[in-house]
Amino acid sequence: MAQAAWEKPLASQTQRAAVSATSRGRSKFLIGGGLILAAVAYLVISGMLSGARYYITVADLMNDPAAYAGQSVRVSGAVIGETITYDSQNLLITFTVANVAEPYEDLGQALHEAVNDPNAIRMPVRVENQVRPELLQNEAQAIMTGTMGDDGIFHVTELNLKCPSRFIEGQPDQSIAQPGA
Amino acid sequence: MLAEVGLIALALAFASSVYAAVVSLIGARQHRTVWVDSARNAALLTFPLLALSSAALLIALVTEQYQIAYVWQVTNPTTPTFFRITALWGSQQGSLLFWCLLMSLFAFVALLVNWRAHHRLIPYFITYSMVTLAFFIGLVVFMENPFARYWIVPDATAADGVRVVYGVFIPANATAPDPVRLAETARGLNPLLRHFGMIIHPPMLYLGFVGFLIPFAFAMAALASGDLSTGWIRAARRWTLVAWLFLSLGLLLGGRWAYDVLGWGGYWGWDPVENAAFIPWLVGTAFLHSVMIQEKRGMLKVWNMVLIIFTFSAVIFGTFATRSGLVDSVHSFAQSAIGTPMFLFWAGVTLISTALIVRRRQQGALQSEQAFAGLLSRESLFVLNNVVFIALALAIFWGSFGAPIVSELFLNTDITLGPDYFNTVTVPLFLVMYVLMGVAPLSAWGAVSGRSLGRAMIVPGAAALAGVALCYLLGVRGAGALFGFGIVIFAGAVAVFEIARGAAARQRAMHENPLLATVRIFTRNRRRYGGFIIHLGITIIGIGVIGSTLFQQETQRTLAPGATLSFAGYEMTFNDVQTGQIADDGRVMDITRLTVSRDGQTLATIRPRHDVYPTSPDQTAIAMNIPGVYGTLENDFYVLLVGLQPDGSATFKVYVNPLINFVWWGGLVLIFGTIVAAWPHEGQQAPARLRRSAAAGPPKGHATA
Repeated sequence: MAQAAWEKPLASQTQRAAVSATSRGRSKFLIGGGLILAAVAYLVISGMLSGARYYITVADLMNDPAAYAGQSVRVSGAVIGETITYDSQNLLITFTVANVAEPYEDLGQALHEAVNDPNAIRMPVRVENQVRPELLQNEAQAIMTGTMGDDGIFHVTELNLKCPSRFIEGQPDQSIAQPGA
Repeated sequence: MLAEVGLIALALAFASSVYAAVVSLIGARQHRTVWVDSARNAALLTFPLLALSSAALLIALVTEQYQIAYVWQVTNPTTPTFFRITALWGSQQGSLLFWCLLMSLFAFVALLVNWRAHHRLIPYFITYSMVTLAFFIGLVVFMENPFARYWIVPDATAADGVRVVYGVFIPANATAPDPVRLAETARGLNPLLRHFGMIIHPPMLYLGFVGFLIPFAFAMAALASGDLSTGWIRAARRWTLVAWLFLSLGLLLGGRWAYDVLGWGGYWGWDPVENAAFIPWLVGTAFLHSVMIQEKRGMLKVWNMVLIIFTFSAVIFGTFATRSGLVDSVHSFAQSAIGTPMFLFWAGVTLISTALIVRRRQQGALQSEQAFAGLLSRESLFVLNNVVFIALALAIFWGSFGAPIVSELFLNTDITLGPDYFNTVTVPLFLVMYVLMGVAPLSAWGAVSGRSLGRAMIVPGAAALAGVALCYLLGVRGAGALFGFGIVIFAGAVAVFEIARGAAARQRAMHENPLLATVRIFTRNRRRYGGFIIHLGITIIGIGVIGSTLFQQETQRTLAPGATLSFAGYEMTFNDVQTGQIADDGRVMDITRLTVSRDGQTLATIRPRHDVYPTSPDQTAIAMNIPGVYGTLENDFYVLLVGLQPDGSATFKVYVNPLINFVWWGGLVLIFGTIVAAWPHEGQQAPARLRRSAAAGPPKGHATA
């Protein structure tokens, strides 16, 4: 009972009759709901205008660079290990990626073929002010956000990497069949 | 032997869950108590069976049974015992088994706790919870079995005449591989997972995810049984709070892990998998608020059903997204074939539950008992708060999954949305959320005038203004930051104000001293005042997020030994480096030693380091930059070693993250508040309206589905 001293009263108990939903009240809620919906739609659209990026392949970009000039795009390609350089003093990473032929069933195999195919379209990449990621290795899949420069180099602002050897689990390792040391 | 024990226990658990689901449904439809009792016993049995299966895998991990493929994949001879235990959830198969174990534990406890009080709902509760459990155990048994073993079989086409295969059953003419060779080649736990936050983060997240099964199953049971009195709400509310507690903890620990291990100075990156865990948290939060309106006012019955079903649907979708390889993320599991069945299960759950709601609504069983009184009433503000939470959830879902999928399916192109999208959309919505978090508790149920609400806002509003003035005096500039701090402080001030007001009222009424009165209001109304502590925690987190996001500073510098860098009021002296240090688990470490000082006074010695984990030649080497951190409440001085130069100098990346520790401390306050709110209260009675409703029983004509 003591709690009742500071709990707010249920106004409805005394005013139930007065507060039944009138058409005026309902339209207030509808207008309010419409305004909220419009505000959220506005936020989503403006967010998409600033945050949307095409997710394309190296071939898409290199075959038609004019179509993406000055745009921030997301590009996926296979890292060619021997081209990787890292200047840890200036946090500058450069490497080249090869186009991965699509569609593929086995990402690891597709990356391997892309890197070893001399005819695959290639693209030089430059990443500034970023520590060399642990997964930046030969035949890793690089998913890069950035813009194509006038110098023909893709300037990356966000670099994500995926190594199939890390992600294909459960594949039997044939070396298990060899005798132990 | 261990594999056989684990496998048989797993198969029996699958059979038990299927049996329980089918028999409870028949028992409910035909009103056969014996059948329902039998189904309950089978449902209860799933937990000990899954515990036995998990124990078998755990023993295999600890005793290095490398013939079991899962053990071979996630451990090797250098793995410390502690990480052998945590490897149980270190990869897809084990973590799915662990997921099933936790789900069965929740069902086990819920059945024991709710059996008597909610006996009308229980048969259908068993059906829905066991169908879900059976689905996940089925995935483990048939698609991601952690007890599959390696075998060598003859193969004339192979270079050396043999081939390594793995399977649950022993193939014809198979021999077991050499144990020494298995140990030599075993891969070991992903180093990213060797962190305290990552050890606890997955179990907490799983507990949060699977915990939502219980309120969902009660909601479905209410829809199926036609017992749409508020009984299901009473059963579901506390379980929702428990699940929400673990999900909050999981999200916080995930953020802490990212901050400590991923080495980019942040804790939240709008990664699709992070978002997949955040979406059910948002919808669950909306449910925890709107359920109060149904309890107090008998309103929003359809909406509450939709929310809890949407929460569980979001859990299943998040699990599908994470475990199917659908999204590229640091959190993702391997590409897996479980994607299709998981997607179908998600679609099935969502469609069936939606159809049930529509059916009950058409029958008039979910009609509101009252209408909204006014725009400023507490129920209206709660609805507005719900709209904000749902808008956040949908906007984040759209950014993470919707836009990429729709663009690929219908626009013949791939479009992804980056952090700019999430920041643009979520920041204003979060600010509105904080405003409502402050205003709604000051309002009252029923009609409220603008004048009385305005009066109630004077004290917390003044506190918020004082907070803004303090921020300005402390050097905070920028209208956006001051505005953000003001709103967040306002929400926190309301929580403190309401606690103080409640304690003062009790003190006057009961003539107790202030401390006792404060303690008593918490023990008498844990849910209300626990809720205010949660609001306080969210306020503290908000301050931390604003500070660390808007005012982070960073630099990079190469220093020779003995050289000093001055940055953001700190001095950092590079003392020395020890290269090639070998840790117990075999990793090779380059450890630098830095002295951090301020105004000439030494504060701490920190050791940023670079770790390289040994791997077999065919694997990608794994390296990690572990930061050295000097932390205070004011900020973190966070240093990464990014390179060692041939001349003995070292390159460092330095971040100063203001107020970041408010995020972790706020998280602890939030967790404490949730425990207070969820703590069982002996002799606690439902509100009078609920007791009347329960006594009246279900609406006539809707006794059974």
